[in-house]
Formats: sequence, C-alpha cells, structure tokens
Amino acid sequence: MRVTGLRPALVAIGGLGALLTALAVCLTLTAQHYELRGVNAAITFAVLVGYIGTGLFAWYRRPHNRTGLLMTTVGFTYFLTVLTAFEQDVVFTFGVLFSNVFLVVALHMVLAFPTGRLPTPGLRRLVGATYLFSVVCQLAFLLVTPDWCPTCSTPLPDNVFAVTDSPTASDAILIVASVFATGVLAASATVLLRRWRAATRPARRALGPVLFTGLALIAALTALFAIQAVDSSGTVVDVAAIPAMLAFAALPFAFLAGLLRNRWSRAGAVTELVERLGVERASLTETLAAAMGDPTLQLAYWLPDPGKFVDSTGHAMEVPGDDDPVRAATMVERDGERIGALVHDRSLCEEPELVGTAAAAAALAMANERLEAELRARLEELRESRAKLVETSLAERQRLERDLHDGAQQRLVALSLQVHVARAKITSDPDAAGAILDRARDELNLALEELRELARGIHPAVLTDRGLGAAIAGLASRFPMPVQVLTTPLARLPSAVEAAAYFVVSESLANMAKHAGASHATVRVARQNGVALVEVSDDGCGGASLEAGSGLRGLADRLAGLDGRLEVVSPPGEGTTVRARIPCESS
Amino acid sequence: MLIVDDHPSFRATARMLLELEGYEVVGEAPDGLSAVAEAQRLQPDLVLLDVNLPDIDGFDVASRITTDDGAPAVVLISSREGADFGPLIRRSGAKGFIAKADLSGSAIEELLACG
Repeated sequence: MRVTGLRPALVAIGGLGALLTALAVCLTLTAQHYELRGVNAAITFAVLVGYIGTGLFAWYRRPHNRTGLLMTTVGFTYFLTVLTAFEQDVVFTFGVLFSNVFLVVALHMVLAFPTGRLPTPGLRRLVGATYLFSVVCQLAFLLVTPDWCPTCSTPLPDNVFAVTDSPTASDAILIVASVFATGVLAASATVLLRRWRAATRPARRALGPVLFTGLALIAALTALFAIQAVDSSGTVVDVAAIPAMLAFAALPFAFLAGLLRNRWSRAGAVTELVERLGVERASLTETLAAAMGDPTLQLAYWLPDPGKFVDSTGHAMEVPGDDDPVRAATMVERDGERIGALVHDRSLCEEPELVGTAAAAAALAMANERLEAELRARLEELRESRAKLVETSLAERQRLERDLHDGAQQRLVALSLQVHVARAKITSDPDAAGAILDRARDELNLALEELRELARGIHPAVLTDRGLGAAIAGLASRFPMPVQVLTTPLARLPSAVEAAAYFVVSESLANMAKHAGASHATVRVARQNGVALVEVSDDGCGGASLEAGSGLRGLADRLAGLDGRLEVVSPPGEGTTVRARIPCESS
Repeated sequence: MLIVDDHPSFRATARMLLELEGYEVVGEAPDGLSAVAEAQRLQPDLVLLDVNLPDIDGFDVASRITTDDGAPAVVLISSREGADFGPLIRRSGAKGFIAKADLSGSAIEELLACG
C-alpha cells in the first residue's frame, strides 16, 4: 500500500538527517571538551545513519506501521545529545537536559514492535511517564548540580540551569532516577518475554532479532544504572556504558537483518514455490505452508454458488474476519475472480508482500484444486440430500399411515358397526335402523372425501393428467382464502419438477392459512433460463423461516434432491414470500 | 363395561351396539390416564380398551388395570389387526383382542369364554 506524497517527504527527512549527521560528526570531532573524539564521532555517525536510514527505509516499506517513524525519531533525538559538543553554555545545557530522550524513544520502539503502536493502555502510561521522568529528573539534577561532571579532565561549559550546589540532593536524584529506570526496564523486559512466549512460530520469526537486541539493551542499561547508583563517577560507569551503547547501536541493524532475512527467504521461498507448483503434485497446502513459514496455513476454496468457502474435502469452512486476533485470511484471486483464501497466522499480515506473492503464485493451482473441492462439496451435498430424502420419505409414509388410521379407517370402522346395529334393528325398529343408515351414509361420504384429500396429498391426479396450471388452479379454488394465480407455464415441465412446484405451492398456502393471518395470496410459476421459478406471497404477519417449520424444511430437502433451492423472505409485519428455484433443463 | 377410545364417534356407536346386545355401559374414557382412573372408580366387569390412545398406549393401560386381584377383564380393540401387535397383547394382561370392525357382543363373549 502506498501513501500519496510520502516519498518526497521521506526524501526531505532523509536530506535533513544527512545534514544533521554531517553536522554531528563535525561537532563531535571538534568539541574541545570531548574525550576520544574519533570514537565518539564514529559512534554518532553509526547511530544517526543506522537509525535514520533504517527508519526511513522501514517507513517507506510500511507506511502504516509506526516502527519506521519511531526508529527515525530515535536518530533525530540522538542528535540532541550532540548539542553537548557545543561550547555555548545554553546549548550545552539543553543538550544535557535532553540527553536521555533518545533512550526512551528506543525503548518505546522496542515495546511497540512490530506494529509501532503500544498495544495496551498500561504500556502507553508506562512509556509516557518515562518520557516525562527522563526530562524532569535531568532538570532537577541540573538545578542542584552546577558542576555535573567533576571527574571530567577537560573543563565543561557552564550549567546555566544550576540554582544551588547540593551534592546530597544531587545524589538523591541519581538514586531515584536509577530506581525508576530499573523498574521501567524490568517491566519492559517482562512485557517482551511474555510477548515472546505468547507468539506463534511465524510471529517469533518476525519478532526475534529486534526483541532479543532490545532485551540485550535493557539488560545492559539495567547494569549501567545499577553501577551508576553505587558509583556515579569514574571509569566503571564508562566501561559499563559500552555494552549498552553497542546494543543500542545494533538495534536498527538487527531490524534490518530481520527484514533482509525475510526478503531473501521470501524470494527463495516464492521461487521454490513456483517451481514446485509447476513440476510436482505435492500438497498445495504443505508447499504454501513451507513457503510462508506458517505450518498452520489452511486453504479455503470459494464456491460462488452457493457462495461459501469449503476445505479441500468439500466441507464448509469459516474464514476468519478482520476482528479475529489470531487468524487472518488473504483472498486469492485470478483474473478478478475470487478463487479462495489463504487462512494464516495474523502475524503474517506484517509481511503483505510475502502473503500477496504466495497468494498470486498459488492462484492457478488453487483454481485447479477448487474444481476438485467443488466436486467433493457437491458430493457431500448430494450425500446429505439423499439422507434427508430417505428421512423425508419415511416421515411422509408415517404421516400417511397416521392420517389413514385416524381418518378414513376410523370412519369405516364406525360405518361397519353402524351397519351392524342397523341390521339388528331393521325388523324390530325400522325407523331407528333408517336413521342409523343415514348417519352411516354421512360417515361414508366423509371417509371418501378424506381419502380424496389424502390421494391429492400423495400426488394429485389432475397434476399428472392436466399439468401444473390446472392443479394449482384447483388448489387455489379449494383454498379458504382468496388466492390469485398470476402465471403458470403453458408447456409441461418434467413430472418431478411439476410435483415439486405443486408441493411448494400447496405447503406454502397451507402454512399461510395456518400461521400468517393473511387475507390474500398470490402464486406465480414461471420457467426462466432452464429454471422453474415458483413464488408464493401473502399479505400476512411475516416472521416465517425455513428453520421454524418442519413443512418448509421438508420442502427444502425435497427440492435439494432436484438440485433446487428454497428461499423464505418474511420480514415481521410485511408478509411472506416463499421462492423456489428448480432446475428443469429437459422437458 | 367401560369403553376407552379417543374417537367420540366410535365410543357412541360401540355403546349403541353393545347396549343393543344387552351390555350395560357404565362409562367412557378418551385417553389412557382417565381410563385407569375410571376403571378404579367405576369397578366395571369389563374394559373395552383401544390400543392407540393419545397419552399412554392401551398395553400400558391394560397392565395398570389388571395388576390387582378382582380386576376387570380387559379386551383390547383397534382398527388394525391383532397380528400387527404380536405378543404385546398377551403380555399386557388383557384377555384378548378384537378388531374394531368385528366388534359385537357375541365376539366379546366368545373371547371371554376362551380366556
């Protein structure tokens, strides 16, 4: 990702950095009160070039990651210490006042690595307090210490902030500063070690160099402060400062080494990836996992219809969203079409080129494997819909048996008994026998009507004989509320499609009559582009769903057997539309 | 006699038929639990008991009614055939089974005489 206008701004900052570096080296080499001017100048050069150069490079590569900005800031704040090379008292004193700030910025950078942002409010408070303390403490020290380096062999410029000379207060401030600094460093070390322990393997690869150099710097600084608290003068402090200075100077190079190692390994990995994908039938997942250094990598294949991700075995797969703290997904596209996604450790988001290159290299192989995944997903769906069909058919038969038993069979049993009674009474009480036979005839008519209904429920004869239009018209005319049939296809559809469409209409209308409180319904059946579209709408209370009723669920399963889909749109208070799409290529 | 069946039309027709054949019908019950209660309350000599009831099935009702000495005879009835139920009828404690379509006073007498 590029940020508009960033490049000229970075070039300007780089120019300023180069200018300040040259100035700092000249000042250091010519400062009368500096000892070991050559060594000092070399260190100053290394630190300024290292931090500002590496910082600008990182800033350019990752404009939204603040590590580059922080690293550049370390370089510029280090320049403040070079102000102590000036002979002018005021400039010199300000140089001393701000001489510790660069260390706090460096600590800030290590704690904020790898995003450049401090992740918790606690850390933000800790770093903020350290910035404040580093300046306030130094100011307090300068106020009570006119000669702040009594052991220095060369006379130093005057401390313009000194108001009194109190060695006791001066020592006390040094002890407080050492205790505070030790506390901050211990807390920082704990944070870094915890971060290392919690990091995943790919995250450790990215964290490693900076984290360990940062820990080395913390350890060296802790030793330095401890020694300073015991003996604030002399060569012991100077010697103890060397490892701290080395670790500090090494920090940007550790960052650069990590970055370059990643770039080299990335280039190698991607080259190898492309080669292997070209010649081997190795597992794509394993190859990509090795190239990206993430053994937890998963591939998700995108199926546009029905619009879901599946794994290589065809099972549905959830892809992590932007809010997932551990996993992330990078979309794989080919010619603008989504093929799938690489699901990987979130830490790899810090290396967008690596992930992007791997995704691009894998697109062709994934496009091929997607066909297999799609086939497996279809097989899986078929297996499920076949099992559901068996279940539905069993449930249907049980319902039929129950309806027959509770309905027509009961009426015929009663009829048999009534005939029995009438026969017994026919000579002794012919009137009573006649009345019983009248009831028996009513019972027989009801039984016949129930049998007709049942037969229609199994497969209406009119559907077979006259087609969908006539069957739906009959259904609408028998219905207890007004049903308007808008369109039905003139030509016959395959019989399985006609039956499925008929039951979508009859079940939807039955549901509407039972639950919707509707006053009016419309039915539309049309054949469009090889698909029979069935739509049943009402003006009822809405709130229906596929999950809520077994009737609609059974319909969906029945349609799945024909590769069809059922959709229910039913916002509360706005009526219900049941829509089915049933493929009907052959007629 | 107590008639137990969840279909009111069947209960009414069966009552008419059996009363015509000289039986005294002392009560009716539409489900299993009320059948057990009515059998205890009315102490009938015979319970005509449908197998398919809405709460507990007729076999279970039969075994509850026939546990005590001096319990009424139970005759199971159904619109299905007796063979559909296999050994369940015998195990339930009922005297036997009559298909609803064959129900008559003589069929009951014949069954009780055999039992």
